[in-house]
Amino acid sequence: MERGDVRLSTGTAAPVRDGDPSVAVPERASRRSGRWARLLPVLGMLPFFLYVAVFLVLPIVVLSVEAFRATDPDTFEETWSTGSIAAITEGAYRRAYLGSLRLSVICAVLGAVIGLALAVAVLRTRRGRLLRRLVLTASGVLANFGGIPLAFAFIATIGTQGVITALLTDTLGLGLGGFSLYSMAGLTVVYLYFLIPLMVLTITPALEALRPQWREAADNLGASGWQYWRYVGGPVLAPPVIGATMLLFASSFAAYATAKALVGSSVPLVTLQIADALSSNVTVGSENLGKALALGMVLLIGLVMIFYAWVQRRTQRWLA
Amino acid sequence: MTSLTGVAGAGGVAPETPVRPGRRGPGAWRFAVLAVLGLYFIVPIGASVWFTVRDRRNGGVTFGTYAQIPGAEGFADAFTRSLLLAVLTVVLSLLLMVPTVVLVELRLPRLRTAVELLTLMPLVLPPIALVVGVRSVLAWAPDYFLNTPLADAFFALQEPALPWILVLVYVVLALPFVYRALDAGVRGSDLKTLTEAARNLGASWPRVLVSVVLPVLRTSVLNAAFLTLALVLGEFTVAAILGFETFPTWIVRISGSAPKLSVAVSVLSLLITWALLLLISALDRRRGAKENS
Amino acid sequence: MTAVSARAVGPADLRQRPGVAVRLEGLTRRYGSVLALDGLDLDIAGGEFVALLGPSGCGKTTALRAIAGFDRPDGGRVLVDGRDVTDVPANKRDMGMVFQAYSLFPNLTVAENVAFGLRVRGRDKGERRGRATELLELVGLADRAQRYPHQLSGGQQQRVALARALAVAPQVLLLDEPLSALDAQVRVQLREEIRRIQLELGITTVFVTHDQAEALSVADRVGVLRAGRLEQIAGPDELYERPATAFVAEFVGTMNRLPARLTDGAVELLGTRRPVTGAAPAAGPVVALIRPESLLVQADAAGPGRVVTRTFSGASTRLLVALPDGSEVRVDVASAVSQDLTPGTAVTVLPADRPVLVAPAEPIPG
Repeated sequence: MERGDVRLSTGTAAPVRDGDPSVAVPERASRRSGRWARLLPVLGMLPFFLYVAVFLVLPIVVLSVEAFRATDPDTFEETWSTGSIAAITEGAYRRAYLGSLRLSVICAVLGAVIGLALAVAVLRTRRGRLLRRLVLTASGVLANFGGIPLAFAFIATIGTQGVITALLTDTLGLGLGGFSLYSMAGLTVVYLYFLIPLMVLTITPALEALRPQWREAADNLGASGWQYWRYVGGPVLAPPVIGATMLLFASSFAAYATAKALVGSSVPLVTLQIADALSSNVTVGSENLGKALALGMVLLIGLVMIFYAWVQRRTQRWLA
Repeated sequence: MTSLTGVAGAGGVAPETPVRPGRRGPGAWRFAVLAVLGLYFIVPIGASVWFTVRDRRNGGVTFGTYAQIPGAEGFADAFTRSLLLAVLTVVLSLLLMVPTVVLVELRLPRLRTAVELLTLMPLVLPPIALVVGVRSVLAWAPDYFLNTPLADAFFALQEPALPWILVLVYVVLALPFVYRALDAGVRGSDLKTLTEAARNLGASWPRVLVSVVLPVLRTSVLNAAFLTLALVLGEFTVAAILGFETFPTWIVRISGSAPKLSVAVSVLSLLITWALLLLISALDRRRGAKENS
Repeated sequence: MTAVSARAVGPADLRQRPGVAVRLEGLTRRYGSVLALDGLDLDIAGGEFVALLGPSGCGKTTALRAIAGFDRPDGGRVLVDGRDVTDVPANKRDMGMVFQAYSLFPNLTVAENVAFGLRVRGRDKGERRGRATELLELVGLADRAQRYPHQLSGGQQQRVALARALAVAPQVLLLDEPLSALDAQVRVQLREEIRRIQLELGITTVFVTHDQAEALSVADRVGVLRAGRLEQIAGPDELYERPATAFVAEFVGTMNRLPARLTDGAVELLGTRRPVTGAAPAAGPVVALIRPESLLVQADAAGPGRVVTRTFSGASTRLLVALPDGSEVRVDVASAVSQDLTPGTAVTVLPADRPVLVAPAEPIPG
């Protein structure tokens, strides 16, 4: 019952109440409007829930269900089977999962550490307000700079015909010293370009929430810097840092465009495999393989999220 | 790589660190971190620009590559298509989310967690998995209900000239950012109190919506709009897997035959995205400044 | 390094320790172009409870933080028990500080918060637990030991903060506006409790506040600061009755400013004459400074004054009386005998028969 609607929902012909300037409404109309007033908001939420159900939930559900189909290569018949699922746990697909996981973990950890360092470096300064604002704005922009343009920017920089490659070859005769952009290592370097800003953006609010009084109180009670971080700062920051790292992991894991533009299929990654499976005209039933692979991705991310929720609960019992 | 986050806007106050005598170390370390990372972020941009303007033959600078862009094969088509898709996505997202956000804030606060969770899903879910699911659903039309109006609708959605299916999926992808931008605006301005005050002064609900809610949300709406624009203009995965030609897929298509051109176009699209996002940042700061005065 | 002895120190031990003296010599601190402290000198005796009072920006918090070690002064010295601690870092100063708000560690329970100082000194768990219980009993929160800070009310949090500061038996207790964020009633309760504990432990205490009623009610001496300097430091009654400057007079308690005239050693105001107390300004226009309780008011149909408002506060009632020259005075009367003095009543206002404080008639900034 909202304040403004008191006269509508009470259904009695009570006169003006509490300085409500509106005139009292006759009983029957007020009762009808009352029910209508309660129903309207719920109806108003329907579009959102329907939309999400049809365009988000439905595709995932369909994906999960149809992953359990396999096409017989000879008869082109589709049957229920776990064949596709089984297939993705072996061979090239297994390598793809491991490759994606490895890349994502490395990128997430590196991005988190470097991003945290950058956020701390910029935040702690009293005189550097301008620098801080610059870094935050830049991070907001760079975190969205991914995909194709980013890949091409790096190709132009340290690709085979890249500007820096040429520079290093001409001046130092070293070239890139064995480093190739078109490899796992190269991908990591490129991914970090948007992962580090993403980390800065995500962790800055948490860093700012560290009250200076805590540090001062700890100082006052005789704690050294390390003791403060061990007993207070660390435990308070750990959950947001872990959360941010998970976010970086999910971003790296899901990345497709950058990888596609850079490495084609030379690096084992699940996203690339999925695209291949879907566009393959050669293998029969590859569509189902693609679905199985995608389902695997969804489950993996789901597991990561559950793990994150568990970590949150454990480390933030002081909020429970 | 789809865009992942909104621009945080550089508001907020950095905590004051107590001055401690004799701490030189952090200064040098901070400088080192900033210098190294500064290089890391600036060099690729500089190198790309240089890549596109260097004139290897004459040893100077030429903007010829950029001049080629407007006339390049397929550019106008792909770019306008992406632009149109972006605008449609913005409109549909706002139509869907503004009422939702306002309703949750004013009338159904208990649904807030559910809505937040739902809008967080597209952020975590790999777009490629989503598009595989979408493809599977689209495949129902030829497989299961061919020759029905529903199937015709499905086919219409995939019209290459203006694939509405992309708009529908992009709205989902943009959900986290649009929701967050609108929600921040609604919460930051304490919409509940404002509407209650207006109601108390005698305004009817339509009047409240027009005179109170919309003006208050203007900045966040713009915010959400620009974020969505940036997202759609850069989106590759969904368009590529579903087989449509948008701006990013066009860039990849021509990259094989015209590398310099593709880098030039990338730089251009980067500049456009940056401009959009800097606009958001400026909007945020203006809103922040207004609230502080 | 720290002054905490090897064995656990309890309240009984603290009582046997005489409080240590604190001395500030010529403290100066500048923030950019703002001079926060301007050569501040202050002497605090062992076991004394001193309140630092003043408007915002007067430097009281800066002075406190200088004592605590969070703010390095640009000039001057801080001495504790005769030793110069100006260059000693904050975490080695053996002082207990209670902040205005938000200082409890959110991820530790109440007991863990209180025991924190002992933990960083490497005391064992049994000792920590015992001491924490002891102090929580002292502040009356023993039953909340296992709660987390966010589960406590503001007043309870500040009590835990106090317990935590005292747990390590510091030489000096510093309180930075500890009650400002609390409800009025809680504020009164808590300040009495702080004073009680301080008296029991005999610990030297510096208490910063902008609320003069608070300062006057708990402190042994109150120092009024203004623009980084100490205007006056004295016991509460002396500060109230004999303010040294017009600023102190107006800041502490309510003060009426009445246009007046100086004539051979006396001051003319409200149609009568009274002797001047303290130093009279040499020349120029003056105002007489009179407390509301030092004015007498009477219903008088022919009187020049008129009651504008009447504010009841229990035993006394404050009347706002408008005078013909346009000025307004506040007069405190006993509620029981002034029922007839309602708004609109014509009255006569006279100063009580004692010397009057006089000041130059320029506006007081800040």
